[in-house]
Amino acid sequence: MSASLKRKLSNVLVYLVLFLLSVIFIMPVIFVVFTALKSNADLSANTFYSFPKELVWSNFAEAWNRIKHYMGNSLLISIVKVPLGILVNALAAFALTRLNFKWATGMFIFILIGMMVPMQATLVPLNMMLNAVNLNNTFPGIIFVYLGFGIPFGILVLRGFMLAIPRDLDEAAVIDGCNELDKFFRIIVPIAMPAIATLFILDFLATWNEFLLAQIFITKESMQPITAGLLSFQGQHSTNYTLLNAGVLISILPVMVVYVFFQKYLISGMVGAVKG
Amino acid sequence: MRLKAKILPWLFLFPALFIYLMVIVVPSLYSLVLSFFDWNGVSPDKKFVGLGNYIYLLTEDNVFQTALKNNLIWLVGSMTILIGLGLAFALILNRQLKGRVFFRSVFYYPYVLSGIVVAIVWSWMYHPTKGFITFFIEKIGLEKWATPWLSDPKTALYAVFIAAVWQGVGLPMVLFLAGLQSIPKEPYEAAVIDGAKPFQTFRYITLPLLRDTFVIVFATTMVGAMKVYDIIYGMTGGGPMNSTQVLSSWMYYQTFKYNFIGIGSAISWYLIFICLIVIVPYVIFISKRSHY
Repeated sequence: MSASLKRKLSNVLVYLVLFLLSVIFIMPVIFVVFTALKSNADLSANTFYSFPKELVWSNFAEAWNRIKHYMGNSLLISIVKVPLGILVNALAAFALTRLNFKWATGMFIFILIGMMVPMQATLVPLNMMLNAVNLNNTFPGIIFVYLGFGIPFGILVLRGFMLAIPRDLDEAAVIDGCNELDKFFRIIVPIAMPAIATLFILDFLATWNEFLLAQIFITKESMQPITAGLLSFQGQHSTNYTLLNAGVLISILPVMVVYVFFQKYLISGMVGAVKG
Repeated sequence: MRLKAKILPWLFLFPALFIYLMVIVVPSLYSLVLSFFDWNGVSPDKKFVGLGNYIYLLTEDNVFQTALKNNLIWLVGSMTILIGLGLAFALILNRQLKGRVFFRSVFYYPYVLSGIVVAIVWSWMYHPTKGFITFFIEKIGLEKWATPWLSDPKTALYAVFIAAVWQGVGLPMVLFLAGLQSIPKEPYEAAVIDGAKPFQTFRYITLPLLRDTFVIVFATTMVGAMKVYDIIYGMTGGGPMNSTQVLSSWMYYQTFKYNFIGIGSAISWYLIFICLIVIVPYVIFISKRSHY
């Protein structure tokens, strides 16, 4: 067998494996699409993986009506939390990288330790604290908690990026008469935009997908975000699989849109973040 | 002026530090205090029991032992299967292939779904009469394996784990791909000239040069395995018969369903201890390499 034939064969084999794996990876979501488009009668007569007899698009409208308030809650929480978190973390990363701060390394490690504290260890005291200030079942309460858990990762990403920005820029800014706040907003933040964009996307996904904290601190059904909301939906309409599946698809739409359009940032960001 | 220069960093750091202290540091230390008490969360009398809760969990709480064992199974499974598959995918996709980006997206996209969505999606797959997996297993002639996987205590944990691999394999894959792409070409060219076999090249060039990536992948995977919660809660709720409880979920039940605050806090501190052992080397590694 010639070398080029051998290579061609091995390429065919690789494509075959990749194709089969792709089928495995896409299949579960395809079945969700099938189920979401079925009528209830179709679903109870047939399996979950059969193609719908007729396409019932109205399932989506009905599911949307039942989950739109969860989607709204998630959106509101994300829209406030994500930019606020980035501002807070960028200010901190600025202090840790550009202000000749004696405690910079110590503080960074102290904050990094937070990444290994499991959320579970904070739940009871946090619950007591939020109760004491009447912030349980409120958006400010859950946003405050989300901000806290976003800090170690956010600072890790932004500090890494800011460390790589050349010092000459700072000196030029000082000569131009900038104070530190000007330097932060006019020089460092614009240069750090790629890192900020990445963090924005990662943080949006993390906030949208968060479940445990939402489950504990938002017990009022009307205020639940989409993750907890989907479980409530499942609990209330446990027999209505078609609507639940339509709801699942609607709920992952924002995430998929972000994924498709910002994939490059997402992956490079994930890599950059863990590489520090 | 010098005083201002000293205070300034603290001003910039203040919002993050304040929130961090209030949300993570103070609560987790306070839960350490609570773990030494017998308390139901509302009654005014808290009874100090010292290490009583910790000893009770280790010696008398069977579910805690199951949870600990399940976390270990999850950890070993993640370290071998999840990382192994991630590396394999990365090696395949590191070749000059058409459609690389497409395949990479397909293997990575489940990672951006929430654990709850993955749990719901895979519950359909495992449905005992209508699910695809039952159908598939019967189709390939393994009828006796076609048990209701999620409701059988012997198989439930593994069934959830498969769903977790489907969700999570994209992350190690992407990290390994990045690592592979940062390896220079020269060692490989030299290896070809020296007549090295593909496996030898992999063993003596690729693996050693991926060392940094391995450290990161191991650390994130281990911590992820210790903290696993959403997908288990969503798929089985820790059942059937507590067979899929892990430390996180059992902590949730003890604390928020049964109101054993002290015991729940002790579970969470066991979790912290284990995570500490796992991640301290990682923190040292990261802080070392960012000094330049």
